[in-house]
Amino acid sequence: MTMTRRAFGIGLIAASALATGGYFYLKDTKYLRQPKPLTGFVGGEKRGFLANPATIAALRGDGFELNARQAGSVEMVREAQILRQDPDFLWPSSSVMVEIAKENSVPIRRAEVILNSPIVVYSWEPVVAGLEAAGLVRRQADGTRTIDLALYLKAVLAGRSWSELGVGDLSGPVRIVSTDPNLSNSGFMFAGLVANLLAGEVTQQSQLRALSGDIGALFHHMGFKSNSSGSLFEDYIAGGPGVYPMAVLYENQLIEWALEDGARWQRVMAGSAKPVLLYPAPTVYSAHPLISLKPAADALIGTLLSPALQEIAWSSHGFRGPLGSPGAAAGAGQPTIPEKLTAIVPMPEAKVMLDILQLLS
Amino acid sequence: MARVRHAAALAVLFGLLVALSGCGSQPGPSFDIVSGSENQPLEALVQEFCKERRATCKMTYQGSLDIGLGLRPGQDVKYDAVWPASGIWIAMFDSGRRVSALKSISQSPVVLGVRSSKAEALGWTKAPVAMADILAAVESGKLRFLMTSATQSNSGASAYIAMLSAALGSKAVITESNLSGASADLAARLLRGVERSSGSSGWLADLYLSSAEKGVVYDAMWNYEAVIKEANDKLRGAGRELLWAVYPSDGVSMADSPLGFVERGRGPEVKQFFDDLQAWLLSSAGQARIAATGRRVPADRAAPAKPEPDWNFDPQRLVTAVPMPEPEVIRKALVLYQEALRRPSLSVLCLDFSGSMKGDGESALQRAMEFLLTPERAAEVLVQWSPRDRIIVLPFNGQVINAWEGTGQPADQMKILEGVRTMHADGGTDMYACATEGLRRMQALAGMQDYLPAIFVLTDGRSDGDPEAFVNGMSAGERAVPIFGITFGDADRGQLDAIAKASGGRVFDGTKDLTGAFRSARGYN
Repeated sequence: MTMTRRAFGIGLIAASALATGGYFYLKDTKYLRQPKPLTGFVGGEKRGFLANPATIAALRGDGFELNARQAGSVEMVREAQILRQDPDFLWPSSSVMVEIAKENSVPIRRAEVILNSPIVVYSWEPVVAGLEAAGLVRRQADGTRTIDLALYLKAVLAGRSWSELGVGDLSGPVRIVSTDPNLSNSGFMFAGLVANLLAGEVTQQSQLRALSGDIGALFHHMGFKSNSSGSLFEDYIAGGPGVYPMAVLYENQLIEWALEDGARWQRVMAGSAKPVLLYPAPTVYSAHPLISLKPAADALIGTLLSPALQEIAWSSHGFRGPLGSPGAAAGAGQPTIPEKLTAIVPMPEAKVMLDILQLLS
Repeated sequence: MARVRHAAALAVLFGLLVALSGCGSQPGPSFDIVSGSENQPLEALVQEFCKERRATCKMTYQGSLDIGLGLRPGQDVKYDAVWPASGIWIAMFDSGRRVSALKSISQSPVVLGVRSSKAEALGWTKAPVAMADILAAVESGKLRFLMTSATQSNSGASAYIAMLSAALGSKAVITESNLSGASADLAARLLRGVERSSGSSGWLADLYLSSAEKGVVYDAMWNYEAVIKEANDKLRGAGRELLWAVYPSDGVSMADSPLGFVERGRGPEVKQFFDDLQAWLLSSAGQARIAATGRRVPADRAAPAKPEPDWNFDPQRLVTAVPMPEPEVIRKALVLYQEALRRPSLSVLCLDFSGSMKGDGESALQRAMEFLLTPERAAEVLVQWSPRDRIIVLPFNGQVINAWEGTGQPADQMKILEGVRTMHADGGTDMYACATEGLRRMQALAGMQDYLPAIFVLTDGRSDGDPEAFVNGMSAGERAVPIFGITFGDADRGQLDAIAKASGGRVFDGTKDLTGAFRSARGYN
């Protein structure tokens, strides 16, 4: 059958009418709506989540297209250079940043926690076995392990040796390393946690003078500190227990890494040096508050809190929801994590944290 | 569900990669990598990937400190990727953060490889060895070792940091306060054991091997575990004694060999090529090849090389790493090494002022000497002299035409420099006459055994005389002094090579950058 020119013409008109009608019909639905481009600054640990095609598609579905530039959480709320670029939103990795932003007169419209990930200590099976025997690490009923971090920090300050703490495979004094608190949020959070543990409560400004020697010594004796959580994680994996026996990072980094390549995770767990997450009790939550600075970004908060995006954040990147609970149960091919963290201590207030940063700079 | 989508996305990405890398596609980019010399055995792996992608890859080898210095703000970076022995050099110098996507490709501890019979005699093959044991062996005259310059090469810097750390006791890491007192004292005493130095770990291993062939057997060398393995593979092949690996029980420095991308605006294809190269090196197949060389890789990536108990090698053995100090502390520690702690050097500089040097050659030489003998300028790149060093400068043409001697004190350096400034090119060329005079002056110096001696011959042409006759005329003591050549213009490299080879020296090309050549050469003395 051949199509006449007339039939072809009619067909074209019909198709075009359909397309036009369809466009008007669909234009305000999520299928055709032109996404709103929003520019903002985001901590590097959420890079994987925001680059995930599923995340991009879900955001587009709600009419958003994010141009997220990477910046350190501390710098994004206080560096004039960043704020001068007139961002639509900021997405740091700690609630303290909202307070610091307020103090710096950043024009906050809304701020809400989207994701959470606790600060944990990354160690290795042979090291943990020793610490467990020494009573510093406890195995919980759910298979996860907690560490008495206050006691461990005291051992570091006292210059105790690995063998004194039950770890015969390592020599020399015990240690722990985090990222640089002035450059990276996980180190910043750890500094807050250290201050709290040394104070025995949420640190107040009045206590800081008495604690500054110990806080300074702990960070000073880490030696070289990485400037990002991502690179410290890479170094931890590559270096193994001899180089990074104890490193402070976010819980989600190991989950994300395990999810990224299931076969790799199986190989790791079959080896002798297995990564182990130690949960300090109490620990601090790295909350990820989205700070909206422009009306156009207000609705982004709701979208990021939608079940679809929360599910992607959990099942592909290991971020817990705003209340700290994980998504659907963790699968067998993933690190063992606690369902709920009961011992969470708030970070010291912004003023105290700024003083600690000053002390450690 | 999200996992399925994730997997689907990965599959698409993989398909894209395969399509991009397929035969008949566009040729890949030209790609320049600057790397530490210890990565030489891995170049074939890199080139294989480049060939498959039809890319033109070039690997240039430099000391880690030079790689770091090249990243300082304001420097024109000539490379697309950096691959130093340790990430610390990037952290120290790349303050403009031009390097990104830095990932460790493999790890290797810096260990002391000791000739097996020596290790056995010292009782080191049966029990753990602490830095204090090494010190006792050095101080009783039972052990001397080869070690690269801490201010030019990562393996030397790593050994030096491990030495400083060994006196820390209950502290985990060196801080500024340790740069005087017990730590510095221990390092200085250990460094008296240095028999030969160099600016490159790969070259140091070659020196050990070529000397062994000639019957000169050194006791030991500080080098990467993987480089000791390469040396032992060759020693085993030649039926010679192996090097026993000593892992000081106080902790060893671990080299993490990171590969990073240098952004210099060459577009997304070049970045993509880098990402693919890095992913290939980190893939199970790439890591298996790397692990087979004795480098350590995480267990999930590939199986480690087989243990070789006859030299104490087991890449699965857990070793405690010495933590890297803060970059500012390392910087100060390196200055301390260069200006005070290293074994002092005794250097003869033979400078060609023959007629053919007239014009450009003469002015390049004057500039190089201005750099080398101006403390502030030499200190910028950590090749400054220490007051304990001895410097002998001999300008020559057909004969030695002048001579200045002094210590590394700034006033002495200035006096020598003023002398050099008065020189003008003229006459014939006889470098042997100068080298002979240099050797004579060295032997005449009291306490010569306290110094690390070397002769540097800069020349631009064919010399009168004959290398063979010169070498044959040297006494055994004179032959222990390495002679380094620095070429300029159309120098006859053959003559310099012959005397460098006979004396365990090497030849540097000063044609393009005479100052740079002198600076590199300083790392060997």
